[in-house]
Amino acid sequence: MTSDQTTLKRPEERLRRSSGPDQTTPTRRGDQYRWSALGFIAPGVLLVAVLLYLPLLWTTFLSLTEYNGLGDPEWVGFENYVEMLDDPAFLGSVLNTLLWVAGTLLVPVGIGLGVALLTWNLKGGIWLRLPFLIPYALSGIGVGVIWSFILSGDGALDQALAAFGVDDTPRWLVDAPLNTVVMILATAWQGVGVNALLFTIGLQSIPKEPLEAARVDGANGLRLFRSILWPMLRPLTAVVVGLSIVASLKTFDIVQGMTKGGPGRASETLALTMYKETFVNSEYGLGSAIAVFLTVVTLVASILYLRRQLSTKHGV
Amino acid sequence: MDRKTVRSRRIPLTIAAATAASMLLASCGGGGEDDGATTGTLDFYTNKAAWEPDFDELNAQSESDVDISLDTTGYSDAAQYDAFIKQSFRTDKSPGLFTWQTGPSLAELVDEGLVAETTDIWTEAVDEGWIGEDLKDAYTFDGEQYCVPMNIAYWVMYYNKTVFEAQGIAEPTTWAELDAAAAKLKGAGITPYYQTSTLFTFPWFQQLVAGTDPELYNGLATGEVEYTDPRIVEIMETWRAQQDAGWFSDAGATVDPAVGLKQGDFAMINFGSFFNGSLDGAGMVSGEDYDMFVIPAVNPDLEKTPVAVESGPLCVAENSSQKTLGLEYSEWWMSPDAQTAWSAARGDVAFNPQATVADPMLEELGTTVAGDGYEAYDRYYEATPTPILTVALEQFGAFIANPGDPLPFLETIQAEADDYWAN
Repeated sequence: MTSDQTTLKRPEERLRRSSGPDQTTPTRRGDQYRWSALGFIAPGVLLVAVLLYLPLLWTTFLSLTEYNGLGDPEWVGFENYVEMLDDPAFLGSVLNTLLWVAGTLLVPVGIGLGVALLTWNLKGGIWLRLPFLIPYALSGIGVGVIWSFILSGDGALDQALAAFGVDDTPRWLVDAPLNTVVMILATAWQGVGVNALLFTIGLQSIPKEPLEAARVDGANGLRLFRSILWPMLRPLTAVVVGLSIVASLKTFDIVQGMTKGGPGRASETLALTMYKETFVNSEYGLGSAIAVFLTVVTLVASILYLRRQLSTKHGV
Repeated sequence: MDRKTVRSRRIPLTIAAATAASMLLASCGGGGEDDGATTGTLDFYTNKAAWEPDFDELNAQSESDVDISLDTTGYSDAAQYDAFIKQSFRTDKSPGLFTWQTGPSLAELVDEGLVAETTDIWTEAVDEGWIGEDLKDAYTFDGEQYCVPMNIAYWVMYYNKTVFEAQGIAEPTTWAELDAAAAKLKGAGITPYYQTSTLFTFPWFQQLVAGTDPELYNGLATGEVEYTDPRIVEIMETWRAQQDAGWFSDAGATVDPAVGLKQGDFAMINFGSFFNGSLDGAGMVSGEDYDMFVIPAVNPDLEKTPVAVESGPLCVAENSSQKTLGLEYSEWWMSPDAQTAWSAARGDVAFNPQATVADPMLEELGTTVAGDGYEAYDRYYEATPTPILTVALEQFGAFIANPGDPLPFLETIQAEADDYWAN
């Protein structure tokens, strides 16, 4: 029998040990643990503060000033916000951005879902989905350049149509809102593949039993989709649609690559207006006000949508 | 541990992190001290990325003459470049030499004391006969000079010689002859003029207004004339009529203008005299495949034919650690040897009359424009304050894309002009 075992046999001694000077050891260890934990998280916190919170605070501050990028910002209160809301071009940007939100939900997400549904149960379906996925490897600017070659006034599409005797073609990138519509289609060309992939993952994760039960009950095609697949896909749909909303609200690269927001300001989105006011017009205050507006709209839209879709009320 | 306790500990942590970050950023601010070097490698930034090989080519000459070579960083996006330069003034990396724009953009930098004065360099250059007094104005603020001219370019009409010869068209010397040439070309199924609905949307407006009345043109730049002035509206109607007549190329076309002229997609293009370099690059031969002429004044009663001139400055940042080196290079840049080398490298007009211009066509242009029958005016891009310019470029682009009643386009520009001149 060891001395420790002997000690354990004496309750009064155990009590003395627990209330004696040794009691500080766990506390000290706890403090040390907390400090070392803080040490570990500090670099991450510092990075987030420097790269995310600080720019956000600085942008919000700039939005309340007049600043041309030189000298010091001059405090003007909410003047930039008033000017922003007063500008018809800003309203045009808001409408175009809404068109982007609706368009990217209908086209890339809708077609992505369609491709996934048509191929997920097929043998070798991956080979049918793969071509849709390849454009996802391109940058938005790259997609813009490629589609500009196709859709410009003397571009590949017009030349191809002319070969079939169609000469009176629309001015794809000149007339609004046609230019925004064709840019949404160009985005769809790039985005369908990844949406199809995500929906396929969702479909493959659906348990086989309810599907087989539904089929035994005679559910097929649209009925099977409406009553079984669609409800069971809801969590994934929420994520895909949520991502799509956020991406479309900040649409920039493809528009910059294809029309630069023109002609005039006909195809500008909010992100493009923000860029132009800040870096082209050197109106850093006004550009920052648009940035704050865009951030708030994106956050609110995302929170409202995801809260509604992922709430337990909907069975998730 | 309850939520409130966690939150109360997070807040000071976040504040501490933000403070540390602010201190870190603040320590990056401020300018560098001039190291006083007069020879060595000079960091040079430009928004003309395509010209980088030309600047590199010049290093052999500058190393031989003043023992300075450029380490060039070219930007191809003007907005990104402007933002970079502006931010660099707040750091110890402000450039020893950089390109900029004359007009209100340069005035902004001078007002903030961000660019080094070059009065001594100008005085010497003028005394030596290296540069004319007329160019000095664009670089003078409160009687002192800042920056030196990187180049000058005259905005003229380039034309495809093969097309002109095939149609039996001679270089027009009056506006009526130019109109007749355009009508003849259109009749033969050839688009007379190039146009674009992005960025370079202003040249024809500039040409029409200055060629009609130079004072009217200057009034727009100073705010004394409104864009909705009936005379401007009438000029826009002329432009609209030419659009309706089909005299301009497809605004949505993305073909390279040099390639378009070579292919005969259009017969003429109004561009700066630096366009020789692009046309040579497209495989056309100066004087054989293409030529140029000074665009005649719209108003035949004008005593002198107005010619738009563009001059891009080379500047040195006041707080750059390479300030002395940058100023040494600027001084050399004005010399005949430097300008001869530049003209050979870039294929550009030389502002120094003592320099030898490699391309005979450009040499002739320089001599012609220096004659009594011509007067230079600042290009619209430099003459117009930036906020008005941005809106105007957009509105001209929209008008080019969909020519119609010019008044709504002009009203939009004037609204911005009102706002600008009111502040």
